[in-house]
Amino acid sequence: MSRRAKILVYAALSVLCVPFVFPTWWMVTSSFKPNADIFSARLWPRHLSLQPWHDVFTLQPFARQYANSLYIALLVTAGTMVVASMAGYAFARIRFRGQNILFVVVLTGLLIPSEVTIVPLFRMFNAAGLIDTHWPLILVPIFGAPSVLATFIMRQFFITLPGELEEAARLDGLGRAGTFRRVALPLARPALGAVAIFTFLHSWNLYLEPIVFLSTKTKFTLPQALTQFTDAYQGPLWNVQLSAASMTAIPVLIVFVLAQRHFIEGLAQTGLKG
Amino acid sequence: MRVMNIAAAMVLLGSLAACGDGSSSADGGAVTLRMTTWSANEAHVKLFTDIAAAYHGAHPNVTVTFDALPVENYTTAVTTQIAGGNTPDLAWILESAAPDFVSSGALVPLDDAVENPSEIAPTTTALWKQDGKLLAYPFSTSPFGVFVNTDLVPDLPTGDDWTWDAAIGAAKKAAVSSGKQGLVPRDFDYKDWTNLAPIFDAWGAQAWSADGKTCGFDKQPMVDAMTFIHQAIFDDKAIPGPGVAADFFAGDAAMTITQISRASLLEDAPFDWTLVRLPSGPRGTYAVFGQAGIGVLKKGEHVDEAKDFLRFFTNDANSAKLAAYFPPPRTPQLTPETLAESNPLLKPENLKDVVIDGISSGVVKPSHRNSAEIVQAVRSALDPMWKPGADVPAVLTGVCTAIQPLLTK
Amino acid sequence: MITTISRVDAPATTPPPRDRFWTTRRRDELTGWLFIAPQLAGTVVFVLVPLLLVGWYSLHEWNVLADSFTFVGAQNYRALAQDPKIGGVLRASALFSAGLVVVNLSLALLLAVLLNQRLRGTTVFRVLFFSPVVVSLVAWTIVWRFMLQNNGGINDLLAAVGVTGPNWLRSGGTAMAAVIVVQTFKNVGLNMVLFLAALQGVPRELYEAARTDGASAWTVFRRITLPLISPTVLLTSIITVVGSLQVFAQIAVLTEGGPGTSTTVLVYYLYQQAFQFHAFGYGATLSMLLFAIVLALTVLQWRMRRRWVFHES
Repeated sequence: MSRRAKILVYAALSVLCVPFVFPTWWMVTSSFKPNADIFSARLWPRHLSLQPWHDVFTLQPFARQYANSLYIALLVTAGTMVVASMAGYAFARIRFRGQNILFVVVLTGLLIPSEVTIVPLFRMFNAAGLIDTHWPLILVPIFGAPSVLATFIMRQFFITLPGELEEAARLDGLGRAGTFRRVALPLARPALGAVAIFTFLHSWNLYLEPIVFLSTKTKFTLPQALTQFTDAYQGPLWNVQLSAASMTAIPVLIVFVLAQRHFIEGLAQTGLKG
Repeated sequence: MRVMNIAAAMVLLGSLAACGDGSSSADGGAVTLRMTTWSANEAHVKLFTDIAAAYHGAHPNVTVTFDALPVENYTTAVTTQIAGGNTPDLAWILESAAPDFVSSGALVPLDDAVENPSEIAPTTTALWKQDGKLLAYPFSTSPFGVFVNTDLVPDLPTGDDWTWDAAIGAAKKAAVSSGKQGLVPRDFDYKDWTNLAPIFDAWGAQAWSADGKTCGFDKQPMVDAMTFIHQAIFDDKAIPGPGVAADFFAGDAAMTITQISRASLLEDAPFDWTLVRLPSGPRGTYAVFGQAGIGVLKKGEHVDEAKDFLRFFTNDANSAKLAAYFPPPRTPQLTPETLAESNPLLKPENLKDVVIDGISSGVVKPSHRNSAEIVQAVRSALDPMWKPGADVPAVLTGVCTAIQPLLTK
Repeated sequence: MITTISRVDAPATTPPPRDRFWTTRRRDELTGWLFIAPQLAGTVVFVLVPLLLVGWYSLHEWNVLADSFTFVGAQNYRALAQDPKIGGVLRASALFSAGLVVVNLSLALLLAVLLNQRLRGTTVFRVLFFSPVVVSLVAWTIVWRFMLQNNGGINDLLAAVGVTGPNWLRSGGTAMAAVIVVQTFKNVGLNMVLFLAALQGVPRELYEAARTDGASAWTVFRRITLPLISPTVLLTSIITVVGSLQVFAQIAVLTEGGPGTSTTVLVYYLYQQAFQFHAFGYGATLSMLLFAIVLALTVLQWRMRRRWVFHES
């Protein structure tokens, strides 16, 4: 590539990355401004104020809410990996009666926005006495519609797996389940990684479901808590809200930057290639 | 594959625990009442739990919990709980939702659950009665007033000179000289137009007729009022325009129109301020207030216990305590002295002008059956007005076209 | 689930099957069912049953406060046909989905092509472009809401270069554009990565052959690259369209469906009717409409794959 072309590519990339980076920059720097300075056009606060970061924890049980989001997302991720890898493997590699029709049945889950089923789900969980608990936010994603995408990704991956490997395993005396656990799953690490990322982010971002299912502040999740930083009369506390948003975003960003290679390459190898 | 096994174990344990959770303990006689509120404010919550603890002392079998829901989705959240069969025993009700709750039959009559009902000011119960029965107790009747940053507005017009023209003039002057914003109708934000009622009422304008059947937006008083507001925003720049965020309590603006209970936000204000009544308009002086009631839900599991707790929660002594944050409906408590005691930030003359005269003579913000849908329809139809050069009468005619079918539905 | 795994695991440790009943086929049959059982049960309980219930609710008028649940037959569907707002709502949904697919996929492809030049330091850019994907959706949207205020960061930035920015979230045209762009920047990294993987799968020799034939870069892209990555284009477009029809938090935080009803997409309208106006019966009817649209679009896209996907995989 010519020198000029290279400079052009770098210039294009640098301009294009502004809208991706600026919001995060603005969020973090503004969170150190006093509330009255939020709308001043400064890229750097006049004086750093740690007060908003402190207020985040006094206005709401924010640490608790953070822990809620984290443990729910981790549990959902672990559960989905189990459910989806088993179902994906069965749909891809095992022959059983009704396989195709059942796959179509399961796929309907991909097509149903959660807003469609939220009212009946609310009634069902209420009948089970599970309103204002975290169970709806855990059970539905693991077994219901959100895990279908994960199953689909796993199926697409297992289909591309060469059959000879499994044949060899079977000749060694491994049964189906053994082949799955000892041969197929270890090879599926990239796809499992992608499933883990998708699932974690999905759970981490859930907004409508917590609003509907949870009503106690100590049980809230982060997205729900973020919209609740107001003064006693519901006037917005912008700087506190931005501090909380920063705290929500930064740790995940750090984990991402450290593990970005696995992150991105895992995603790229999901068999979503087509 | 140890990870997978651990994950599997977690899921399994989780499902088991979930099943175990379902069976709650049912020991004889113990009752837990749940009241939904929209205040998570520490001081408020402490006051409520103190009252509940006192009640628990006298009735050891009754425990009361307070379920603070976010206010912007409050009615939605309560209705969702009811739809799901998780009905609260007692619920705060916003004035906008009052007609829906009162007319639906969801609430039980409270005439026998209120102490000294004759003390309650009649203007405060109008919204909460049906067929002569009181269906919710108006525990908070909070009049609108104007908070003024006197650092920015040193020469505030007073007495008969305190008119809307003078107020907008002062706001404009302060905005120009300080580079900050003029007058902020708080919580309006070009969305909740019901918070413009404290302005358009000065022209005698009404969103709809008293019987709720006829749209009032295309009538002359509303056209005059909205034309005035439009000029104040786009010609005088005395009211911050759409999409401009400004918070009076952070010192961003010269004045704000809001309910007097917001005074507590000024505790550590870095500027001098005062509270005055709404300016007078073509219709003379007037007052507007917002309200909140407490109702007992018919579908709740412990209706009798809930009524008994409500009687305690709103009795003379507790009403006086609640007056620190929520202006009470009881006339003996509506004196400058008693109110000043619980509102140390406000001067007695402020309280007399704004609170006492306001509650005895004021009208409540617009409300209607099915108000969520109507308010939303008005808001959408009003949007074309919030730009320079808008044809105000045409937009208002459009509002009536949009909501007339909803009003008579 | 542990028990499930170890139970089907048991035969694996025993010698190869001699059992007359437990033939390989039968054991496969059982294993297959056991493996999909959790997902299938979840689908039935958390997807199909609720869907049937929604269909049932849509035939009722359900007033929550008055505690009435009355069968009204097709009345809600007739109301849907006559709803004066539904046309605008469907237009807004179509505009959002179409806009998002076009903006998102073109930007994703552009970024992927730029990153695929394998210059030094592109990893850093890859990380930057992908980073919003891992930022919480609500946090991201809240930040953009601040920046899109009339006196917010975007207009400050524009003012610095002498441009007066519009009032983004307050005027009909720009509000929808703003929602689309905010959503694109949030998630374009995902599609970018998928495109990048697809681009890296295109054999270099093809490019070199085309170059020696004297084809321009654009011709190479159109004639070679695009056809070869068409399966990825199809897949990303399906994911993006289906996702776009479920957009909720962004609308709720940025515009609340305004100004007017210009950004009231179907899911938001459904939420308003069911949860804000308490018309649960009508909300259920809108849910059925949403389901029908998603289903129809997916079937359509899947059918079209033969037409514009170069090779079936």
